[in-house]
Amino acid sequence: MTPTGWPQPERRANRALDLVNFFLADAQTGFGPFVAVYLTTHHWTQVDIGFVLTLGTITSLVSQLPAGALVDAARNKRLVASWALCCVVAAALLLAVLPNLLPVTIALVLHGVASCIITPSIAAISLGMAGPLRLGERLGRNARFASIGNGLAAAVMGAGGAYLSPRFVFLLTAALCVPALMALWAIGPGTHATSQTTARMLDWTGVRRMLTDRRMLVFWVCVMLFHLSNAAMLPLAGSAVTMRAGHLASLIIAACIMVPQALVALLSPWVGRTAGTAGRRPILLLGWAALPIHGVMLALLPGAWPLVAGQAVSGVSGAVFGVALPLLASDLTLGTAHFNLCLAILSLGMFAGAGISTTVAGAVADAAGIKAAFLMLAAVGALGFLVVWWLMPETRPTIERPTDR
Amino acid sequence: MGRFATALAITGILALNAPLAANAAPPATTVQQVPPEAAEPILGRSVIDAEDKSIGRLIDVLVDADGHPEAAVIDFGGFMGVGNRKVVVHWSALRFHPGDPKHAILLEMTPDQIKDAPEYLSRDKPAPVVIPAPNPAAEPQGAQSGK
Repeated sequence: MTPTGWPQPERRANRALDLVNFFLADAQTGFGPFVAVYLTTHHWTQVDIGFVLTLGTITSLVSQLPAGALVDAARNKRLVASWALCCVVAAALLLAVLPNLLPVTIALVLHGVASCIITPSIAAISLGMAGPLRLGERLGRNARFASIGNGLAAAVMGAGGAYLSPRFVFLLTAALCVPALMALWAIGPGTHATSQTTARMLDWTGVRRMLTDRRMLVFWVCVMLFHLSNAAMLPLAGSAVTMRAGHLASLIIAACIMVPQALVALLSPWVGRTAGTAGRRPILLLGWAALPIHGVMLALLPGAWPLVAGQAVSGVSGAVFGVALPLLASDLTLGTAHFNLCLAILSLGMFAGAGISTTVAGAVADAAGIKAAFLMLAAVGALGFLVVWWLMPETRPTIERPTDR
Repeated sequence: MGRFATALAITGILALNAPLAANAAPPATTVQQVPPEAAEPILGRSVIDAEDKSIGRLIDVLVDADGHPEAAVIDFGGFMGVGNRKVVVHWSALRFHPGDPKHAILLEMTPDQIKDAPEYLSRDKPAPVVIPAPNPAAEPQGAQSGK
């Protein structure tokens, strides 16, 4: 094969990274709200289920920053990611084989830590491979393959969990980590460590400078508002479908999950490219504008199947956010060595927004009905859009700015 | 002082031992083997409707002061955990079959009848119990149903 533009090993490395994203998304699908359902099938009480889920969430929360700093300091990002993947395998196997209190607690703690390490590692490898100027396209590809993986996994695991056995979900998760590991090593050496993402020790002045960067603070607020609006929409839509649809509810909810994933798969590369050519602001405005539209559609659409159309709009915001988060983190840490720490700090904003979202939306739905909850979420989305419009500057690096590559 | 205290202690010990001396042994409990065909554990079991389709899982039981089950909490609906709702149904709507090898619990209502019941969210608030409609003998007992 003759190289056309990109040298041959780079193309193979890029394909390998595509596959890593695909298999990793598969592996993460089982660890969402399904864990509660799974534990119910093993006769767990609600109190115990609540306990282990809360512990898992706290673990993730607490591990965000240390994991980000760890990945920044690691010279071989693939090695760190591989260890984290082995933890995911262990967690999945523990859940599948020993669904008792102590093993499940260990499994969810392991998974919490591992997921905080894997996401920044993949972002760092992507940055190392594409460089800050072409990062948008690479992230668009990541998001495309991740959403395809997520959608397919949801379909297969949903069907398998219902018709075969709920254990199937976690056995499949463990099995899918193997090709993920193989793809990770197929990326090859040399593309995963650049001065952008490697810090030899925790550089406090650099960290302080990053934390006082106005763009960073504004974007943190934007991220938090995005998830404050977005996180509760799918669970509430799922509840609404269950309330309206009776027998076909599972199928409609599956569509509500997969339609946005399909849109993310379609749109992400375009989002990544446009962020590079037209700038970050138009993309951010598009993604954040989709949130209030999504909320209003979900509030106004009647019946169950029409909600799937409302969910399609969520694909637009999902595609934008999936690319924008690591892209802006790279922009904000250009020339420093704190890319992953920045990602971790922004992810904390994600967590904060998402946690508050589900709690508050649940309370509003309980008190005033699901429509009111959707409208509240839409209002928060509109607020986020206004913050992006008025306060968020353009962060695209121009050719003139010196880079560290 | 020492002698007085000792006398008090001995009296105390004798007083404590007196009722024990009267009944030689505590009341005995017996162990009875109950086969799974006679009585089955129900937490986490699948709940099916009249068409043998699984609609959810029984995850909790509400018991009144006399120890009689009033209602059952069923985790109902959803896909991979998304959209699951906890609905409370009156105990009289459930049929148990411990002898059945599949141990399925039959709910004598269709998903359409319980689908828009209010969700059971808090243990401290009144539980919205769905009561089967057509039975004229069923008395709504201080429970809310429907919207």
